[in-house]
Amino acid sequence: MSRKKLKDLGFDLPLLPTTTVGSFPKPPELMRARAEFAKGKITEAELRAEEEKATIFWVEKQEEIGVDVLVDGEMYRGDMVAYFAEKMPGFVLGDLVRSYGNRYYHKPIIQSEVKWPGPMTVGWWKFAQSRTRRPMKGMLTGPYTIMDWSFNEHYVDRRAACLAIAEEIRKEVEALIEAGAKIIQVDEPATSVRPEELPLVVEAMEIVTEGLPAYFITHICYGAFQKIYPQMLDIPVDNFDLELSNNELSMLDLMKKNRFSKDISFGAVDVHTHVVEDIDTVKKRIVQGLEVLDPEQVWVDPDCGLKTRTVEESIEKMRVVVTAVKQLRTRYVKSTSQVQ
Amino acid sequence: MKLMATNTGSYPRIGSRPEFQVLRQAIAQRDKGTKTDADVKAAEDAMTRAAIEEQTGSGLDMVTDGQIRWYDPISHVAGKLENITINGLMRYFDTNSYFRQPVVKGPIRWKQPVLRPDYEKAVALSSRPVKPVLTGAITLARHSIVEHPGYESDFGSLVRDYNMAIAQEVKELAAAGAAVIQIDEPVVLKNAGDLPLLNETLKVLSQVKGKARLALYVYFGDPGPVLSALLDSPADIIGLDFTYNTKLIDQVAAVRPKKPLGLGLLDGRNTKLENADQVAKSLERLLKGISAEECYLNPSSGLEYLPRDRALQKLKHLVAIKNRVA
Repeated sequence: MSRKKLKDLGFDLPLLPTTTVGSFPKPPELMRARAEFAKGKITEAELRAEEEKATIFWVEKQEEIGVDVLVDGEMYRGDMVAYFAEKMPGFVLGDLVRSYGNRYYHKPIIQSEVKWPGPMTVGWWKFAQSRTRRPMKGMLTGPYTIMDWSFNEHYVDRRAACLAIAEEIRKEVEALIEAGAKIIQVDEPATSVRPEELPLVVEAMEIVTEGLPAYFITHICYGAFQKIYPQMLDIPVDNFDLELSNNELSMLDLMKKNRFSKDISFGAVDVHTHVVEDIDTVKKRIVQGLEVLDPEQVWVDPDCGLKTRTVEESIEKMRVVVTAVKQLRTRYVKSTSQVQ
Repeated sequence: MKLMATNTGSYPRIGSRPEFQVLRQAIAQRDKGTKTDADVKAAEDAMTRAAIEEQTGSGLDMVTDGQIRWYDPISHVAGKLENITINGLMRYFDTNSYFRQPVVKGPIRWKQPVLRPDYEKAVALSSRPVKPVLTGAITLARHSIVEHPGYESDFGSLVRDYNMAIAQEVKELAAAGAAVIQIDEPVVLKNAGDLPLLNETLKVLSQVKGKARLALYVYFGDPGPVLSALLDSPADIIGLDFTYNTKLIDQVAAVRPKKPLGLGLLDGRNTKLENADQVAKSLERLLKGISAEECYLNPSSGLEYLPRDRALQKLKHLVAIKNRVA
């Protein structure tokens, strides 16, 4: 458990802190602005103004709903890997490939040595943090995922590409910490893709986080957890942000067999359905989780980024998480203090 | 030895040019209620036509319909069978793409042809023979959530019932005139224990294939450890992924296969174009040891994992190598 680390970093979070995984849907005005920018009809400054407006909207919305640890919503990003690949020398952006169903993304191509170009997310983190007193997470994509979701035409193999990217991502983490970020999420959704490469994920994350004064979270999703659990707990972060709802909490069975030894951001609503779960459903999921996990180690959030949902659905999905947690918090604060 | 160039299955359903955006736009607009299912079907037809044109234009001897209509390799067929519903997303092998998991709630039953109408449309659009591609019963079963008590402790029974549905599809495709029908079973490279079931399912499909030849394709893994079993399986053509094991060429050459092989020597999942000299050398070496009358040179997997421009480059590269060796 990392409550002490959080306190040492100056955070006094309530029991079952609520957060979100990272992305929110872009409001229609921003979508229009992005399309117009792509066609050369508006300037970069005009696009930036829309991105800032949308970022402020989501920061205020999270505060209004009562989320404890906020995100900037990634209004300035298209795709979580392509955003970094667009900025880092060494990558070129490929044409679209399919992610699933009708979702596509620009898959980057590594064509030469990858380099950190200077801060890529720090400006947005500062902008978002300046709009709220609540903690704002720094949000990065991890080196293994950047490697796995790119074509490699330069490095001799996957390992060489991954470790080279890790060295550069560490520089971004250091820049975020220098700017004041203390909770930093390094997403590695590709972690479970090749179980035999888990040691590479661990090694790369060590490069990214070792010795740095921040509370680190990693988000992993949509994979075969049974093949990497409990070994995945070796990834050197404080908190694993996991999707529990998408597969009907089946991960809890694994956690019953092998104790979950770190903090967890517990995905309590499914982000790939338009249906907004009712409060009782979400409470039931959390309670089921708390039968296996210690309340002190649990944060609660949606399964994954909400960018594939509508603005309204995203708000309602966040609201149901926060409401469910508020209703449960009293019960577990009491039981926790009794235990103590 | 006749060497033919073919595609392994899927082809990109999108591209940077506006005419390659029609399917994405049609689906998005249908979801918003501004377009209809008929509009989506028309867009699927347009993208299928484009996929076939690019394959034939590259010089392939045999093409696929690009599996443009497939939501993913699992739910497209499984979701149209009786007593199956479709659940959440799961990553497909080690790709960065996702499929929706079928939930088997009762006995699996085939209802009506899923692939035959698509195959017939593709044939009408293509100047070259079209190869229909299906995901096999074991791969479907391994990616399903089982809620039907009859299957819960009997994986073999789940596979057999899935295979009965696949057999119906094979029968329909053979009746429609398909000369080669490809069955994809990538999962057997991850679960060697499934090989006896593979033999059993292919035997059933062989009985209904008519004049068509069955091609078993495996990919997303190293077929080396199970090579003999694959070559001995009751399929007429065996398609292998050569990108996971640099020694597979030696292994295959050493066993001197008697069956036609699908040689996945070009990586269907990386944009890098292989060194043509090296591939040609490997190909010549392999072909010398194979006593079949024909073989196929194809990408290691379907091409939807590549951007459209790179998929097209890969096919042209493949055909150039084939022409050099043939």
